[in-house]
Formats: sequence, C-alpha cells, structure tokens
Amino acid sequence: MSAARETIFAAIHAALAPLPRRETRPHVPLGVAEPQWLGAETDNVALFLRRARATGTVCFTSLAECEAWLLGQKAAKVYLADSLAAWSSQLGAGLDLTLEYHRDQVDVIDAALTPAAGAIAESGSIIMTDGSSPDRLSELAPWIHIAVVQRETIHRSIAEAIAAMPDDPNIIWVTGPSKTADVEGILIQGVHGPGVQACLLV
Amino acid sequence: MARQLVDTYAKRLDPLVQKAVHDNSAAGTGKRYTILGEDYADADSLRKLAGAIRQHSIDHLDEYLAQAETSLTQRGAKVHYAVTADDACRAVSDILKAAGATRVVKSKSMVSEEIHLNDHLAAEGIESVETDLGEYIIQIDGDHPSHIVKPIIHKMRGDIARSFEREGLGDYNDDPEVITRRARKFMRGKYLAADAGITGANFVSAESGRLVLVTNEGNSRFCLAPTRIHIALVGIEKVVPSDADLGVLLNLLGRSATGQQLTVYTEFINGPARPDQPSGPREMHVIFVDNRRTEVLASDCREILRCIRCGACLNVCPVYRQASGHAYRSVYPGPVGAVLSPLLAGDKFNELADLPKASSLCGACNEVCPVDIPIPDLLLRLRNRAHQEHVPSPGTPPMAGFALLGSHPLIWRSAMMFGVAKDYVPMLDKLPVPYLGDWLKTRTLPKWRGGKFRSWIKSRPRRNGGSAQ
Amino acid sequence: MINLAARPKGKRIQLMATCLCDAFYDGVAKATVEVLEHAGCEIEFPENQTCCGQPAFNCGQWPAARQVMRHTASVFAGDQPIIVPSGSCAAMMFHGSSLEFEHEPDRAAIEQVGGRTWELGDYLVNGLGLTEWPGEFKARVAFHRACHTRGTASGPAVLQLLQSIRGLEIVPFGEGEQCCGFGGTFSVSFPNVSTAMGELKLEHLREAAPDYIVSGDMSCLMHLGGLAERDGQPLKMLHFVQILRDALHQHHGSPTR
Repeated sequence: MSAARETIFAAIHAALAPLPRRETRPHVPLGVAEPQWLGAETDNVALFLRRARATGTVCFTSLAECEAWLLGQKAAKVYLADSLAAWSSQLGAGLDLTLEYHRDQVDVIDAALTPAAGAIAESGSIIMTDGSSPDRLSELAPWIHIAVVQRETIHRSIAEAIAAMPDDPNIIWVTGPSKTADVEGILIQGVHGPGVQACLLV
Repeated sequence: MARQLVDTYAKRLDPLVQKAVHDNSAAGTGKRYTILGEDYADADSLRKLAGAIRQHSIDHLDEYLAQAETSLTQRGAKVHYAVTADDACRAVSDILKAAGATRVVKSKSMVSEEIHLNDHLAAEGIESVETDLGEYIIQIDGDHPSHIVKPIIHKMRGDIARSFEREGLGDYNDDPEVITRRARKFMRGKYLAADAGITGANFVSAESGRLVLVTNEGNSRFCLAPTRIHIALVGIEKVVPSDADLGVLLNLLGRSATGQQLTVYTEFINGPARPDQPSGPREMHVIFVDNRRTEVLASDCREILRCIRCGACLNVCPVYRQASGHAYRSVYPGPVGAVLSPLLAGDKFNELADLPKASSLCGACNEVCPVDIPIPDLLLRLRNRAHQEHVPSPGTPPMAGFALLGSHPLIWRSAMMFGVAKDYVPMLDKLPVPYLGDWLKTRTLPKWRGGKFRSWIKSRPRRNGGSAQ
Repeated sequence: MINLAARPKGKRIQLMATCLCDAFYDGVAKATVEVLEHAGCEIEFPENQTCCGQPAFNCGQWPAARQVMRHTASVFAGDQPIIVPSGSCAAMMFHGSSLEFEHEPDRAAIEQVGGRTWELGDYLVNGLGLTEWPGEFKARVAFHRACHTRGTASGPAVLQLLQSIRGLEIVPFGEGEQCCGFGGTFSVSFPNVSTAMGELKLEHLREAAPDYIVSGDMSCLMHLGGLAERDGQPLKMLHFVQILRDALHQHHGSPTR
C-alpha cells in the first residue's frame, strides 16, 4: 500500500497505544433511537402518509387521484418510467406522456413518475436505489417527481430500513421536497432537486 | 491594552449582521429543543449512546478505517490516503487529470474548506463550482463560511442580490425565491457540463463501506448524477463500526442541525453506479484525509473527533451569537472550532490559542452536543496548554498573587479586612475580579464586606452542636 | 471522574462559604447557615478556607489553581458533606478538580474532598430528601439557572423548593438557557461580548418584570446586578437561600438583607 497509508496508520497506532482504556463498543438495540410516539402506531401505511405529508410530500392513494392532480399542475411533458408503461393508456388523456428519458431533456420534462424501492413510515421517507431508478436524473431534475411506492415495501422505522438496505451502491432516502434556508433563514422549496415531491401508493 | 481578537470582532460586527446571526442561531436552538423534546422522553441518554459510538469508533480507528477501506475496495471504489492538506489537494487533481477531467461540481464539504481545494484546482486550471447555494455565494464573493451548516448566516439578501447581479445571473432582485430559482437554473448547466462531482461524507460505515451524505438542497445528488467521476474527501475520523450505528447518528444529526427528523436527502453510497444505471459516476474515489487528525487523536482533546458537524453548539453559544463565525478566523467556528481549530493549526497553535478563551465556560455547547463532547473541559485543557507554552493572552491576569493569597489563610483573612479599610479598590487586582477597569466600564461592584460573615459566625451562639473552627 | 451519586448525605456538614460571600455577600452566607440549621444540620465552618481556585483554573493557570485547591482540600479534611451556596464553586470541587489533578500524584486525596461536595439546593433536596419548603414569600421571581449547574440535579432541586413556598410565583423569561456573560475573568478579558450577553439577559428578565431575580450563584447576580445598576435601572437580586430563609419568617415582599 501507499506510503501515505502507512504514515497515517502508524500515527493512529502511536496515538492509541498509550491509552489506558478505550471505549468499549456500546450495545445499539434496534429501536433505541425511535421517537417515543412510534410505539403507539400500528398502521405503517397511515403513519407513512401522515409523516410524508408533514414533510411536504404530496401523497396519493390512487392513480386517478394522482392524474387529476397532475392535470391541475399543467405539466407540459410527463415522463413515465418504462416499468410503469402499462399506465400510459390510463394516464393518456390531457397529459403529454413520454417513456424516454435522456440527459438533454433535463429542462423539458416537467414531471416524472418512477418506481421507488420502498419507504419509511417513521420519517415519511421514500427510498430510491440504482436498482429501482430508471435514471438518477429523471428523479432529480424535473420540478415534480412522483415516486410510486408499493404498500408492502414500507418499513416501519428508520432502523428497520437500515437493517434491510439492499446491496446497491446508491441508496437515497427522500424526505420531502428539495429546500434551502440559506438566504436569511427563509425556507424556499425546489433548489436543485424537485420543488414538488410526490408519492403514489399502490 | 491589547485585546482578545474575538472580542474585537464582536465589537466591530455590523449590528444588523449580529442580530441576524443571533436570531437565526437562537431559532436553530429552539427548533432543536422542540423536536428532541417531542420525540424523546430521554434525549440525553441517546446523546450519550451516540457519544459512546463515536468515542468507540475513534478509539479503534485503526481497525475501522482498515475495514472501511476493504469494504469500499471490494465494491469497486478506489481508496486513497492523504497525510497533509497539500497531499489531499494533489490527490484530487491527480485523479482528475488522469481522467482528463477539467470541470468539477462540488457539494459542501468541510474537509475541502480545510485543505483550500478550490484554490488548488483553480491553480491547476480546473473549474470547480460550489453547488450548495450558500457555499456558491461564498465562492463568488471570495468570502469564508461563518457557520458549519449555514455558511452565509452573516449575509443579507441585498448582499446576495448584488453578487448575483455582478456575476450576470440577472438584474438586482433580493427575493429569496428569485435568488434560489436563478441558482437552480445556473447550476443545471454546471452539473450537466461537469466531468466529476466532489463530495464529503457525514459518516462512513466500516461494515458496508457506505458513505452517508446528507443535504436539504439535493446538490450532492446532482453532483453524482450526470458526472462520470465521484471523488469523496473524508476525514479519517468519520468511520463508525456498522450501518446500525448510522441509525442512531442520523436520528440526532438532523434534529440537532436543523430541527428536522431527517434532512431531505440522505444518501448511502459505497461504489460506482450500477452498470445498468444510465446516470451516475463510473469511477468512485475515496480520499481519507488526515490533515493533523492523528495529532488530535494523540492529544488530550481527542473527544473532539467525535464531532458530527451539526452546528448545534454554534447555534446555542452566546459568544458565537455575539461575534459570528469570522471572529474564529478558521474553517471551524464556534465552540467546536475553539477546540478543533487550534489543534488543526499544528505549529501555528499560538495564532489560534486565544479561541479556547472565547468562552464563558457556560457549558451550553456540551448540553446540546449530539455526541456529548465535553467541550468546556477541552477548552480548559487547551487554556492550560497555551499557558504552559507561554502564549500571551491579552486581558488574562497572572494568578500567582491569587494563588499565594488562596493558599495562605492568614494573609487571605487580613486581605478581606484590609479591603474594607482601604475602601476595597486597591485589593481587587489580587482577587478573583482582576482588571477592574474593564469591569467598571459597564458594571458597578457591590460594597466590600470582607470578613463580616467570619465575625458573625464566630460570635454567634452554636446551634445543633455546630461550631466555627 | 467523581461519582456524584456516592456523596455522603449526613447532617454534620462543613460549610464552604465561597470567596464572593467572604468579600461581598455575607448576607448570603448567613442565610445559608440559618437555612441549613433549620434543616437540622450541625455546621462546621473551617476558618482557614479561602477559595476553590476556580479563577486560576479557568485562566488555564493550573499550577496556581492546584496550589489553592491543595490548600482547600487540606482545610476540608474529614468525611462529612461539604456544602457550598454556589453551583460554580461546587462544580469546581467535584468536576474541575478532577481535570486539573488528572496527572497529579495526589489526585485521589483531592477527589476525596470533591466527592463530598454538594451545591446547597442539590443537598437540601437530594441529600436531605426535602421535597418542599415551609413558609411564605409573596413575590414573582425569575430563576436564572446558573450555568455551572447544567447536567446536575441543582436546577430542578432549587425550582422544586421555590415552587413549594406559599405565595411565590416563578415567572418564565426568554432564552433561559443562556449564560449571563460573567464567566469569571472572561468578563474582563472579553468585555464587549460579556456585556452584550449580560444586557441580553437583562432585556429578557425585564420583560418578565419579576419582583426578584434569583439564582444559586452570586457571581451571575453580581454581573447582572452590576450591569443593571450601571444602566441606571437597578434590579432586585436574591440568592435562593435568602428566599428560603425569609420564607421561614413569613416574608411579605419587603426588602431583605
């Protein structure tokens, strides 16, 4: 290995060797960091919807509801992920749908529907991965992103979602729309990522 | 008389900026307090657990760093090590040059601030754009961040509007929404044209190699979508044993930093993009940076390496609220900076040895710290070190006279009586209230009543069998 | 580190009056004696006591601080509880001493003394087991929790006793967790920051308009009182032990000693 590596590890060893004691590894029970209100929750779906809405995520529980809302948003161009292509006939009227996504369309697509890898009820987060995502950009660049979440993939807690993380190099939890408070602490939504984050439960 | 620099900064700070810093910080403290109180019956125990996780991690850094390296390498990432700031800068530019990369988009990273990466890349002819809104404004203004989490807490919207106008991002407009939209549009072009995305990492799990990145804006996601190379600059102390530990730390990080249960985007990354994923870097490089962290590890202030950069100690600190971040003259301001900055300064310790004094030792920083760093104790140890190394400290009285009085009861008692006789003033330079002038400028002193209690208790009849001895 | 849970709880106690009471606030020390006696304590006042050495400790001048602490430890030899009407001095005894003697051969002897030291309110409630205080004190008071009692049982203990007194009302004020700006020598080496901190505290306190500002540390009150007086708007300040003492005499709001 490199000289830099050797230098650093030698310095670490030299620093740690004289310590009279080192902190032992603490036991971390699965639910130790759960908020106290989580115990009373029995319905993952209801909890997810409540928490997601609290963070500003727009939630739908049917495709019809989602479509009606999309029409109201006046989204000119809507990208539908290939795996959701079966919906194109249902969503057809009034929406300009495309099943293609290329990086030169970053400013063309106003809304995208893509499948999520799961969700977390405790925090109202949507989980996306390289495995679930048709294109990282398609979930990030449009002003509106609608993640399609299957009810049975909702994890109860953050700890359970971590324990169940798939072998994927890029796992992303999305908890609300992109936002900043950099300018005088004033909250503005839609900085780099979606200004509207939505979720369709199926 | 020479003055403490932090005090001078505070005095010169524009009152409007001071108020903005104070109000924004106080609001942050309030939000943190509310969400922790609502969510946990005993947040203190959780802070202590998180502190133990971090202390265990740095006490076993050799094991976990090696394990993280193995985990990352197995998943196709390339791991590099950099001893110094210069080494780290060179490692970045070497990777970029080898890949023929000339344009870089950067997500917020404190390590990159430490090593002055942007200056280095500019000198190497590589364009590097900060993508966090606040960091971008810092970059175009040639300024420095004044808060770990809120880098432009010291800027007003008018300042930003003028900077955007100067940079050709549009006519003067100080509406925060307009400012944000203009940045969004401008950054789109930069992301899509970039070859590489540079990020930091909030944590690294040794078990899985997962780097955790948290942002609210989504800029780190964008840095890692259209680009072909990912370079992560990571302080060696960022490792934790396992993914399960991340659960505890993430629950505290968002709540402590911004009063959020989780920041909007939490990313777990441990390799290049999947081959079937159309976007995302094909190369991932992780540079583990020492830059004197091993010196901190060898010092009696190693607990500061637990820090997860949430900024809660800045928000709650009454001195930070008065002086703002630039008073600390280093990358890390506030209480954490008052400990970390002099330590990271190496042989320039003297230049920042005043920072540990810039505290009333009120302990609010320790009380809010999500990893329970005993910051006041570390400030005291550094004060002791500065004294041992004979670093001059303006406004700090020599304590030899006090020590003499305090260890000789007869002299002490006569001094108490003498103070009354002399109408108290001449004694005070030897008592716990030295440098009387600076006290009296804004405060009065109570009447001297030295020795009165002693005569009272001596002359008084005994009760419950007690006595003066 | 000293285990605070293992401190002795008996009623034969040693009183550490503190240097501030020695020099300025004899009334507070007297009230401490009267309150402890009311609680049934047998008080010993070791006359050779001086100071806990905190001024030198906080300046980073640890050899000077240790010199004073060694003296203090010898003066307070014994095995009974040591009671201090100051959260700051108490913390110096049971926490600061451990730090400054970390690498000293006599660390154990120093920690033996620190391991017997109680802040007054903590002792009354958690040492003696008092849950309320008798008497009456008709006033609205703002309680400033002295910073050096953070993370200890002192703040809640004092509040519990004060709240149990008939006629006494605790009034809340803004940014209660913030420091008054004293910080020992900090107040003179950082005069601008210290004064601004104190003025902010006064602003919040004045807004709450209490009859008295109450704390368990005379150092905070000396700073706040000194600022308020220099502003030309003096405020009435009391150590909580003065309220406990006056409550015993059915205090009706007239000025106390």
